[in-house]
Amino acid sequence: MNRMPAGLKALIALAAFAVVVYLGIRYRVFAANLGIWLAAICTLAIYSILYRENVVFRFFEHIFIGLATGYSFYTIITQVLQPKWWVPVAKEGKWYWVFALLFSTMFYTVYSKRFSWMNRLAAGSFMGLSAGLGIVGFTTVLGPQMAASFKPLWTSASPYIAVNNILFFITLITVMSYFFFSFEQRHPVVKGSARLGRWLLMVALGAIFGNTVMGRMSLLIDRLQFLLLQWLQVFGRH
Amino acid sequence: MEQSSQFWSRRIIWLLLAIATGIFIVVKVKAVMYVSRPALSLYEAVERVPADKIIVVSCNWEPGTRGENGLQTEALIRHCLRNGKHFAIFGWAYPAGPQLGQQIAERLQGRYHRRYGTDWVNWGYKTGQNNMVRAWAQNIPGTIKEDILHKPITSYPVMRGIRSARDVGLILEITPSDTLVTYVRFVYGIYGTPIGYACTGVMAPEGFPYLDAGQIVGLLKGLAGAAEYEQLLHYRGEALKRMPAQSSAHLLIIALIVVGNVLYFRARRRGEAPGRRLST
Repeated sequence: MNRMPAGLKALIALAAFAVVVYLGIRYRVFAANLGIWLAAICTLAIYSILYRENVVFRFFEHIFIGLATGYSFYTIITQVLQPKWWVPVAKEGKWYWVFALLFSTMFYTVYSKRFSWMNRLAAGSFMGLSAGLGIVGFTTVLGPQMAASFKPLWTSASPYIAVNNILFFITLITVMSYFFFSFEQRHPVVKGSARLGRWLLMVALGAIFGNTVMGRMSLLIDRLQFLLLQWLQVFGRH
Repeated sequence: MEQSSQFWSRRIIWLLLAIATGIFIVVKVKAVMYVSRPALSLYEAVERVPADKIIVVSCNWEPGTRGENGLQTEALIRHCLRNGKHFAIFGWAYPAGPQLGQQIAERLQGRYHRRYGTDWVNWGYKTGQNNMVRAWAQNIPGTIKEDILHKPITSYPVMRGIRSARDVGLILEITPSDTLVTYVRFVYGIYGTPIGYACTGVMAPEGFPYLDAGQIVGLLKGLAGAAEYEQLLHYRGEALKRMPAQSSAHLLIIALIVVGNVLYFRARRRGEAPGRRLST
């Protein structure tokens, strides 16, 4: 007996889910709490990965990816292509915007051996544009940051600022010496500086990790708050 | 046996985290925030925006980071609505961003008796990233053209006299991504328009060089940043309510790191765990 392909199973499950949701809305089975119930089911299904990999998680993961892609596609059609391209071409007589379509189509020639040179033209022009914009970025972004790294090591304004500036200076020099790979770091001063730079870099990475934890916890709290206060309505609170 | 204990130890940590945060979601504990200098600077920058200029609320985020960026957006829009600062919601990194900003502004506008078109507008989502922002800074009506409702933006009273980035008093970039650099490069770097940065906790360390160089006027980092802003607004919102749960989770993680290190060094002393001194 032939087993049903996994893709077909997923498609049937998705169709069944869509039918249940549609019927729920059509006949008001879920009433006003439909959104809350759906969101709770989706949240729990995604969190089920915390126990172990499972088919429910995979199914909802694909739903989310599909939804996000569908929403992006819809937004690009309605907010960008329709008002910015279709209306000028079809209704305002700006026929020359057709060339934009031709140019963008050149990107897809990458799939053809015969016409892939067209893709290189389009990609090359974009790379040139990016390079030009990058030069602007160097002067407007990195220039002021480099200037700001020249801090006075002594200031009468506040001893805290002076200490902070000295710490900044030491960190800057030692971390830079760690990333200096042009020659072998043999000299004890350079070696010691690079080692200190590495430790200071770890302190910075620790701070980044702390912020990452804060961010992830915020997202967890958001979901837990939804589950406890909106879905379960613990202690009758909303 | 060891594999089984490793399997369950991770699950127990998830459970402990859920309990540590869940308790403080259900039980009310009043949080008082210490307001950091970057958050205060951002608040003061919003206060300083003159009446003839507009604030751009750049919603470059999506539902995945609602727990941080959503609350930051809410606090910043609340400040604008409360003080009658004209603002425009805008987004170019994530299609859902301006729509999420719209929902927040629509929910809050009634409380402060503000109206769409008169006090605020939504330019919607625009593609083009760097090139679009560059063009937008030169010519706002020519680049944006229509709002999220497909009406010409010049038809709204709030857009009167707004032509380029010079007419923008402040850009509030709310994002989980590396999008700040685009505004710094093409707007602050060329027109000198002030920028405020509200980012997720993960992105906060990357914002400090910009703050140090004066390229941004202030910074809100994650949920804590939103809570600090609510404290400045004297409003007890969602961010402040969530801070006890956040602190509880942090304490638990610190405790777990300490316990993990103690167990590791004990195992290493017994020769059960690999270990190596760091060397350059």
